[in-house]
Amino acid sequence: MNRMVKLVLAATVVAAALAGCTSTPLPTNIDYKSRAVTRTEGGVRISAAVLSAEESVTVYGVPLAKKSIQPVWIEVENRDDRAYFLLSPGLDPNFFPASEAAEAFTPGDPPDRTLELDRRFWHLAFHNPVPPGATTSGFVLTNLDEGFKFVHLDLVANGRARTFSILTTVPGFRADYRMTQVFGREIYPAEKIVNYTDDAAFRAALVALPCCVTNEAGSKNGDPLNLVVVGGLDDAFPAFARRGWHATEEKWTGSIMKVVTSALSGERYTNAPVSDLYLFGRVQDLALQRARDNIHQRNHLRLWLSPMRYHGKQVWVGQISRDIGSRLTMHSPTFTTHKIDPDVDEARGALMQDMAYSVNLAKLGFVQGVGAAPRSAPRGNLTTDPYHTDGLRGVLVFDRRHTSLARITFFPWQGTDDEAEQVTGRIKQ
Amino acid sequence: MHAMRRLLSTVACVASLSLAAAGCAAWQAPADVSDAGLRDRAVKATKRDVRVSAAVLSADDSRRMLGVEVDRKRVQPVWIEVQNQTADPLWLLRPGTDPDYFSPLEIAWSVHMPLAEDANARIDEHLNKLGFKNPVLPDVTHAGLLFINPEHGVRLLNIDLLQRKALIPFSLFLSVPDDAGDERFAFSAYRYPDSAIKDRNTLAALRSELERLPCCATDPRGTAYGAPLNIIFVGESSDIGAALARRSYRRDMRPVDAVEQVFGRRPDIVGRKQSQAGAPATWVRAWLAPIRFEGRSVYLVQVGRPVGGRFAPPDATSVVLHEDVDEARNLLIQDMMYSGGLDKLGFVTGAGPASPTQPPTAFSGARYQSDGLRAVMFFATRPIGLSEVEFLDWEPYLDGRRSAARDGNDDARK
Repeated sequence: MNRMVKLVLAATVVAAALAGCTSTPLPTNIDYKSRAVTRTEGGVRISAAVLSAEESVTVYGVPLAKKSIQPVWIEVENRDDRAYFLLSPGLDPNFFPASEAAEAFTPGDPPDRTLELDRRFWHLAFHNPVPPGATTSGFVLTNLDEGFKFVHLDLVANGRARTFSILTTVPGFRADYRMTQVFGREIYPAEKIVNYTDDAAFRAALVALPCCVTNEAGSKNGDPLNLVVVGGLDDAFPAFARRGWHATEEKWTGSIMKVVTSALSGERYTNAPVSDLYLFGRVQDLALQRARDNIHQRNHLRLWLSPMRYHGKQVWVGQISRDIGSRLTMHSPTFTTHKIDPDVDEARGALMQDMAYSVNLAKLGFVQGVGAAPRSAPRGNLTTDPYHTDGLRGVLVFDRRHTSLARITFFPWQGTDDEAEQVTGRIKQ
Repeated sequence: MHAMRRLLSTVACVASLSLAAAGCAAWQAPADVSDAGLRDRAVKATKRDVRVSAAVLSADDSRRMLGVEVDRKRVQPVWIEVQNQTADPLWLLRPGTDPDYFSPLEIAWSVHMPLAEDANARIDEHLNKLGFKNPVLPDVTHAGLLFINPEHGVRLLNIDLLQRKALIPFSLFLSVPDDAGDERFAFSAYRYPDSAIKDRNTLAALRSELERLPCCATDPRGTAYGAPLNIIFVGESSDIGAALARRSYRRDMRPVDAVEQVFGRRPDIVGRKQSQAGAPATWVRAWLAPIRFEGRSVYLVQVGRPVGGRFAPPDATSVVLHEDVDEARNLLIQDMMYSGGLDKLGFVTGAGPASPTQPPTAFSGARYQSDGLRAVMFFATRPIGLSEVEFLDWEPYLDGRRSAARDGNDDARK
């Protein structure tokens, strides 16, 4: 009976999806420029828009999305006194050079077709530099994001740099209202917001946060909340993007197809893209993963916006873990293919170390609050993966101003200087 | 039906693996994990009251200390010791050594055996114990292993130690024990006799030397031109190596690189951008030039990428230079902006323009086009932020007076 219901459900979903496809004609009028988001700072104005799969076919003449390529249109107007360079690796460290993307569509083609496509891609590409007084526009080809995309533009000039960050929605996918809410307007009533300007009080508030995520009912503890990210669209998320982190959401099309496939095959749908965990009575506001390669989805993090602020900046509380079952495994697929590194502190440390190279990390520190779980007595998360931890949370404060590796400061907390290091040292040695 | 099939497959697995599991269940951590041999042959360096030592493990070291066989083609264990005589704790930033490094438990997981829970737990515990631990407190010495992607012949090991408002970076050249004597990985840092080196101590004097350097590589007989030499690196080899390592470049010389020659020899160093998440397929071939600038080395460099890039068929064997060498050059500059090592940037002539209507053909058969400029990148040890890079007033490429026009039709610019 259950199986019958699944089949009917699957058929309905497929029908709905097909109906949706046929009723969405290809756009005849490309108006991505009209929805471009614009920002201005210090004489530099930028606009950016992400193309949908259909729009990229219309503009490029080839189905870029099928190769997981997503064009981002960027316009830079330079009213400053020096030339600027747009840095493509800042949008996506694994971006596609225009000539390489063109080659994705020409294997075995006659030379004139190859040349024509190469020229088209070159002309559409964003070309550096942007001289003073000029306006330049073009595309940077990034890896495909679904639903929404963080677009970060690093523009570098002689002895000067400007950074712009924009959250854009990707047309063609289900609008993600929650994301818009989190970044677009305050999700907490004003009376709930507490802005900390005193480090000791901030530290106490961070220590007092719950130890762990929970299930929906709030009755069971899951992964430890071992991460505090201070900052937002202008400083923290550019840092994540530069180091190759992408937003993940339950992917509308992908999830539906998986549900359909698993319903048809009778198998259990075991590997949801990101399973839901709960804090503050709701599922994560944002889930990020490192890199997009299937064999390399090794770090996952989930963040919740808290009602706290630190010097006016947003404070996100979260959880990070490393998937170790994918890169080196020699196990047969019959056995478990996903495995979380039980040393969750390693994943926390890896993130903090990696962010040191992001240019935006200004300050870091540690606070108590997770509760230590020694190796000899590990705790379990909601999927019964065991983990052990020194019980600390990593705190990362991001800032728009670029900070070189030699200028990152540590919180003048006992937690960083003595106690935490003693704790860390004691457990780690 | 499904349940039945699953049961059958489980039974089959249990049967086929019970032998292996029986052997594995007896696994015990090796008794000899001494690092005395590694310590003896370690390369050492001291800076600002911090001493580091490092050595690459041989296959024998690895077997002896780890007690398991790790996949040597994919993982290279390196022993590192840090002695902290400063007043502040030090943190080793692993992504500075290899952005794709492996955690100890990831290595352990890769050698886990089915149905051997206790043995697997012992493997976890053992490898975890061997891993390098942060932080290194004042007056403390820590030693441990890092598990990183392999390099052959000589490993350039970058060690970034972070401290409150300070970075103490080291770059060490370590020999890879199992590659000794293997001609494929032979590596010796080329040196010119002092009498052959031109010392230049002003930017203007350097620039005129750089413009006179050969335009292109040649074939081994020196009779036909190869790929254009479109980049110059200026700096200590350790600073250049650190910047490249932080951006996922690994040393990787292939036969196709060795036939490209400058100054009558194959490249001194070849790096390839390699990331498990799929990085752009760029190579960097570098030759030490007989020029010194303010006491620092000057390298003549060819940067390019293969035709097909990441979209080349997996079974493709030929590596042909893609024609848009300027694109590869410009993207390397962008990448290096994020390395924290790029201090100054300028453009000079010397590679020779190559028109798209009459592209020159390299001896390899590759055709390319170029504006003929060389990007000159100066590297420094001091970490440098994006807003601190100095643009030199050389060829007017950087201020936009000379642009990346192609086909005489620059319609991307309004």
